[in-house]
Amino acid sequence: MLAGIIFIAQLVRIQFVQGQGLRARADANRFRLVEVRGQRGVIYDRNGELLVRNRPSFDIVAVPANLPDDDDETRAILQRLDEIIVTASGANLPLHELAIADPPETGVAQAGQQGIPQFRERLSVDEAMLEIDAAMQGGAYRPVVIAGRVSAETAFAVAEQSHRLPGIELSVAPVREYLTGPLTSHLIGFMGPIPEAYVASYQEAGYRSNDEVGLAGLELTFEKALRGLDGRRNIEVDVNGREVRTVGDIFPSAPGNNLVLTVDARLQELMEQALVRGLEAAKANIGVAIAMDPKTGEVLGMVSLPTYDNNLFARGITAREYQALIDDKRLPLLNHAISALYPPGSVFKIVASSGALQEGVIDENTRLGDSFDGRVDGIIYVDNRFFPDDSRYAQPFYCWINTYGTGHYRITVREALAVSCDTFFYQISGGYRKTFEGLGIDKLVDYTKVFGFGEATGIDLPGENPGLVPTPRWKRLTYAETWSAGDTYNMSIGQGAILATPMQMLNATVAIANGGVLYRPQLVRQIVDTAGNVVEEFEPEVIRGLPLDPEVVDIVREGMWGAVNYPNGTAKALTVPGITVAGKTGTAEFYDPDIPLSASGRLPYHAWFTAFAPYDDPEIAVVVFVYNGGEGSTTALPVAQEILRGYFAMKYPTQPLETGPGEAITSTETLPGIETLITGTVPFTATGVSDGGGD
Amino acid sequence: MRLNLRRFDFVLLGTTLALVVFGVAMVYSATLGVPTYEDYPLRQIIYALIGLALLMLAAAFDYRLLTTFQWPVYALILLALGAVTVLGQVRGGASGWFDAGIIFIQPAEISKVLFAIVFAQYLASRHDRLGKPQWVLGAFVLMALPVILIYMQPDLGNAIVLLVIGAVMLFVADLPWGYIVGVVAAGALALPMIYANLQGYMKERIDIFLDPASNPDASFNIAQALISIGNGGVLGKGFGEGSQSQLHFLRVRYADFIFSVIAEELGFLGAVALIIMLTIVLWRLITIADQARDQFGRLLVVGIIAMVMFQVIVSIGMNLGLLPVTGITLPFISYGGSSLLTLMIGIGLAESVAMRNRKIEFD
Repeated sequence: MLAGIIFIAQLVRIQFVQGQGLRARADANRFRLVEVRGQRGVIYDRNGELLVRNRPSFDIVAVPANLPDDDDETRAILQRLDEIIVTASGANLPLHELAIADPPETGVAQAGQQGIPQFRERLSVDEAMLEIDAAMQGGAYRPVVIAGRVSAETAFAVAEQSHRLPGIELSVAPVREYLTGPLTSHLIGFMGPIPEAYVASYQEAGYRSNDEVGLAGLELTFEKALRGLDGRRNIEVDVNGREVRTVGDIFPSAPGNNLVLTVDARLQELMEQALVRGLEAAKANIGVAIAMDPKTGEVLGMVSLPTYDNNLFARGITAREYQALIDDKRLPLLNHAISALYPPGSVFKIVASSGALQEGVIDENTRLGDSFDGRVDGIIYVDNRFFPDDSRYAQPFYCWINTYGTGHYRITVREALAVSCDTFFYQISGGYRKTFEGLGIDKLVDYTKVFGFGEATGIDLPGENPGLVPTPRWKRLTYAETWSAGDTYNMSIGQGAILATPMQMLNATVAIANGGVLYRPQLVRQIVDTAGNVVEEFEPEVIRGLPLDPEVVDIVREGMWGAVNYPNGTAKALTVPGITVAGKTGTAEFYDPDIPLSASGRLPYHAWFTAFAPYDDPEIAVVVFVYNGGEGSTTALPVAQEILRGYFAMKYPTQPLETGPGEAITSTETLPGIETLITGTVPFTATGVSDGGGD
Repeated sequence: MRLNLRRFDFVLLGTTLALVVFGVAMVYSATLGVPTYEDYPLRQIIYALIGLALLMLAAAFDYRLLTTFQWPVYALILLALGAVTVLGQVRGGASGWFDAGIIFIQPAEISKVLFAIVFAQYLASRHDRLGKPQWVLGAFVLMALPVILIYMQPDLGNAIVLLVIGAVMLFVADLPWGYIVGVVAAGALALPMIYANLQGYMKERIDIFLDPASNPDASFNIAQALISIGNGGVLGKGFGEGSQSQLHFLRVRYADFIFSVIAEELGFLGAVALIIMLTIVLWRLITIADQARDQFGRLLVVGIIAMVMFQVIVSIGMNLGLLPVTGITLPFISYGGSSLLTLMIGIGLAESVAMRNRKIEFD
């Protein structure tokens, strides 16, 4: 009786007095808030072709709570697991190595890559034991990854043996699948763990420490748009933490937005193939090709060779593979199109001529060149600063044609651009003796900068290099030397200290092609949601209108037309059937301690070529760069030609291309999806006139 | 003597059967959705039916004839306990089982009621000579042998139950006060020594009771029991709806912690109803003992009362966090065939005593 009263009293105490708190504890027992991953957005090219999607990947994990209590038994299980993994994947899944530091001299950091990728590797039995011990402290149901990103075969091998592997489970997580792989690696980039330096800022933005984020390329630039929003769901769990049912969505997960690129994947492929052939022909191993719509600044294709396979990063790269990429002297992880600097060479002449014409230093009829000394040999002299009257101290400057034992004589600016007369540009920039007053270095620098040199173009990719525009002040600060007339001469033909990225070269060309507008290069047209609604539309962005009169731009355009279409133009070899093309060759001397001088003692050359077409209403502009490729006209030009021919063949598939070399790329079949490229179908005319429509 | 059905205690039988049905229902709820325990409710029903048959048989049987079998029964107890200790299968850590086909028999359970018979006869037949030391010593030896065997299985819970049955019977048998004081004093002195010799798990349970934080993993069970009871409130979460039991936060919920299941799912009202029903059973048993026609019958029922009452107090007390965790089942409710059979035989014997009591009949 007494016991019964005590019991009832205690029941009252527990159920009523402490009831509130105990009920809360019961709820805390059974309800869990779990994160639901939001799917990352996918990426399409401009025609809607899928370039990037998500696929499931397997991690082999150990759940400490489900492992035997006995350490020896656990070790035996891990040992068995390791044997199964080694049998199934062997060398493909190496043991965990110490993290590789990112040595700055590799240029990987400059390429815009943040942090170290996710390595594909497995823990040794000893390491796994330590990790499991550590995990026991934090929560015995938190899985410890023993081997991440294993192949499906390895996952199945482990699944088959699961009865021998208590406590070992497979966990499925989404990873990226880059359908175009190496073709678009430099554009799209890759993902990896949040870099240590940015952990705090990512966490502020709601990331968890084990999330993966974009580390390079568009994956990095558009991380915010692509990222899926993780949801939270309230689930009921049993005592083992297993989900019994969903109680409710606190807030639902949302997939990330998708990107629609300006890039045409088929053009990109065509460009890569053309560049690969060009590199093979020149026995070169670094090259860039970029194509842009001059009306908008949209990048239609961007190839930087050598490339790498970003799927390596998606499936988990081994430390060895990554080290090999970093150690490669050709810097395959570097996007040479925007992150590497080269002397612009003769392509730069469009800048010098624009400046000289606009400033009235010359007009379209001004004739300059050699023969002022009576000889047509492609040599002019710069007087010595201290002995201006003594020709023995004068410094000779050579035109490229001097190697052929002649000169260009006296020519106008159009001809000078067409034949790429160095002498002419020396004179309009630096003046000539007392005969002619040039543009001068200060004005030349002004116009150089106006064309976008020395500043980042603002392309949607990380790691862009702004380049270098030398000035007298820069030379004084860097070398403690005075700027000389010879420096101005060198700069006028894109040599000396001036350095630019291929992207900057194309941007400058585009500004001439479209009549004087410098655009920010764009890679993304639209951000769309999963339903296909446009979330953000990217309008063309003008960096600036060039301060050039329309007549000035026209003269420079005509000079570039001449380069391709004059019988003696440097790019006369270029033909695109039915299309009028304008272009500018470049052959830029450079110094590289690893590349020996030629037999005649000359420095090696980079090959440059920029072009736009159709001449009257350009819809594509191209730059081709081949590192140590020799003459621009022999190495870079054929690549650009193949790209332009391919582009127009794709754009006008019914246009019969009958002649000679064009046959290789003749295509009469209708290419699906190409319609979207043509806005306002205008019959193509043989004169190359096409209104093209407004994009 | 004529069998008197009117003396049959229908209240006792009815309450007992109500408790058994209640138990089966709760075992069903506590084992819902767990394949391993799937057949527990059915097995419990089978045990209950067998138990009912044995109850009726025991009631019909004249308990006084049992005195004849005193020593064979005692021998049987020692033999069975000794056998399981040596040969018995290992079940749930303790080796206290006999495998009789589909049914496991736990000699430790059965021996509780059999011991009550033996001990009642021993004390009743020496009623007027109990003051003599040799008889007292004999009583202690009689008690000690099975207790030690059960303890060695190891089954501390049932060893204590047996000890309590014996002690209560001795007390009721008018053992001179001097002995009682002496035994209590000796026991108090022996306590630290007993503690030192306890099996590991037993010490752990006592330690956890005294200091719940000492072993977070083991105190988990007690904490979850309290949470379950608190979770129940007035009306409970509903039959089969207790989150603590259905999601398995509560361990051994079909046996040791079944009171927590009841308190969670049926709430305060359910738990109080259970306590009241158990009280009715005890009240009826006490009435029967009080009206028993002879000392043997009285002591026999007292032994059964001691068994039921002690198990009720320890089991509910443990669930309410008032007593340490022991493997003692809640009478009539917890899953466990041997326990249920033992209890129902006990009730049957009490009915046998009731029907032959000393009340004068006027009809």
